[in-house]
Amino acid sequence: MNARVPSLLELQRAVRRSVVARDDAEAGGCVVAGGIEPEARLDIYRNTFASVLTNALRLSYPAVHRLVGAECFEGAARLFIDEQPPQSACLDEYGANFPETLARLEAVAALAYLPGVARLEWAVSRALHAPDAEPLDVARLAAFAENDQARVRFAPHPSAGLVRADHPADAIWRSVLEQDDAALAAIDPASGPLWLLVHRAATGVEVSRLSEIAWRFTEALFAGCPLRSALEDAPCVEAEALLAEHLAAGRFAGFSLDDTAIS
Amino acid sequence: MIADWPLIFPAASLRSGRSPVPAKAGIGLRFPHHQAVVDTHPEVAWLEVHTENYMGGGTSLRCLETIRKDYPVSLHGVGLSLGSADGLDAAHLARVKGVVERIDPGLVSEHLSWSIVGGTYLADLLPLPMTEEALDVVCRHVDQTQACLKRRLLVENPSSYLRFRHSTIPEWEFMALVAKRTGCGILCDVNNIYVSACNHGWDASAYLAALPPSAIGEIHLAGHSVKQLDGGRTLRIDDHGSRVAPEVWALYAEALARFGPVPTLIEWDTDVPPLEVLMDQAARAEGALKEAQRERARAIAA
Repeated sequence: MNARVPSLLELQRAVRRSVVARDDAEAGGCVVAGGIEPEARLDIYRNTFASVLTNALRLSYPAVHRLVGAECFEGAARLFIDEQPPQSACLDEYGANFPETLARLEAVAALAYLPGVARLEWAVSRALHAPDAEPLDVARLAAFAENDQARVRFAPHPSAGLVRADHPADAIWRSVLEQDDAALAAIDPASGPLWLLVHRAATGVEVSRLSEIAWRFTEALFAGCPLRSALEDAPCVEAEALLAEHLAAGRFAGFSLDDTAIS
Repeated sequence: MIADWPLIFPAASLRSGRSPVPAKAGIGLRFPHHQAVVDTHPEVAWLEVHTENYMGGGTSLRCLETIRKDYPVSLHGVGLSLGSADGLDAAHLARVKGVVERIDPGLVSEHLSWSIVGGTYLADLLPLPMTEEALDVVCRHVDQTQACLKRRLLVENPSSYLRFRHSTIPEWEFMALVAKRTGCGILCDVNNIYVSACNHGWDASAYLAALPPSAIGEIHLAGHSVKQLDGGRTLRIDDHGSRVAPEVWALYAEALARFGPVPTLIEWDTDVPPLEVLMDQAARAEGALKEAQRERARAIAA
């Protein structure tokens, strides 16, 4: 590439290799040295790339950061960034798969609950940043006959999410963020598994525990299954009360009947 | 000279929002100061935020909407990647449009840089080669952005730590050409000019003098640091993590003398200090703006 002028696309691909893969073979040859090695100039952009993305992950995973410490977190972040660099400038959306990287990282293998805490943190971060949406108007739903209601498919509020964890991830997450060492010490890490519902309410993000069957019923509804088949898949005795609670809390943003969207 | 500039976006539309951004000093609003601004209502003429921080919903967007009722707001984007050879990311442009429609800002700006290639976001404002091809790409994307947003965009001059061998157009000419071809305005970042001038051996005053005054819609001021490299060389780093340097204040005075009073922003992104420090820096810029206004009045009277 040194002999001829690279196209803009060729140059940008070369700079990507330099920034993401630390390969300066092509980009370095395009840079004016001016008394400073091109590699030292490219280092500035590499450092920003790593530090901006590590910081984005730290903001989404504050409890993980505290649990493993800054140095370990940076190492895990570096590994994740190398494997899955971001695809968009919306860094709130970056890091969905970080829990899976943590799950196979030997350095933190002793913290068996860590991936569960991370999955919860991602659901919380997602809930914090999700777009606003008007809650479903219950009166419109009530206007349908009972038989039609059974065919209703719900659309979850963009902030609503479900997390299953093998360990008490919610208690660990809360006590770590509140820096409550006594509460943390009192947690029995073996007291799982548990099924969690995450949702942004007017006052902030709420994390609540559900029974396994209530969680599975809610999961089916969030996936857009018609009410009747959700009940068949997850025969939940308190389904009616739970549905009423989801509706009152604004956990659905719309519904459809026979594939016709009604919000 | 002015007649040579396209009138697609007349000067008045530069401040077309419901609440125009005045030719006074504003500060960059970051999350740590959201609550303080809502609660204490500090005396600052206007506020600027990063567009990308308000693309979701929830508390931060509601907070900005509350603040917007009391202050003119400018939206400053960092993720549109105007210089991407791959083309503009339509989804990101749609997100920018969503925030613009919701906030109805007085100014909307982006950077002369690129950040995305092959679907990878490189998390920085990367320098472009100053070539005819890059000029065409940037102008096409500025046109698309202005058409989509239905308003004039301000494009900010970059700070950079490297230059490409095959560049053929001086950066200051490139900036002027983008403004001339697209009718966009220029966000003149005085700290960036100083940083780049030091890093590349340019004449900062000559850079300022090459920019068309009629296109300047906003000025940015920020702090930078000096990085020591092996062999005793240094690079100035545009880290927005300290007070504005004395040399940059001096260059700002030159800019005001040339451009007249222009909305001026104090930017601070790393180790964000208490609001009072930002207010103090804004007060200093305000003093320089008042002086520029007096100069202008004297010139008109004479």
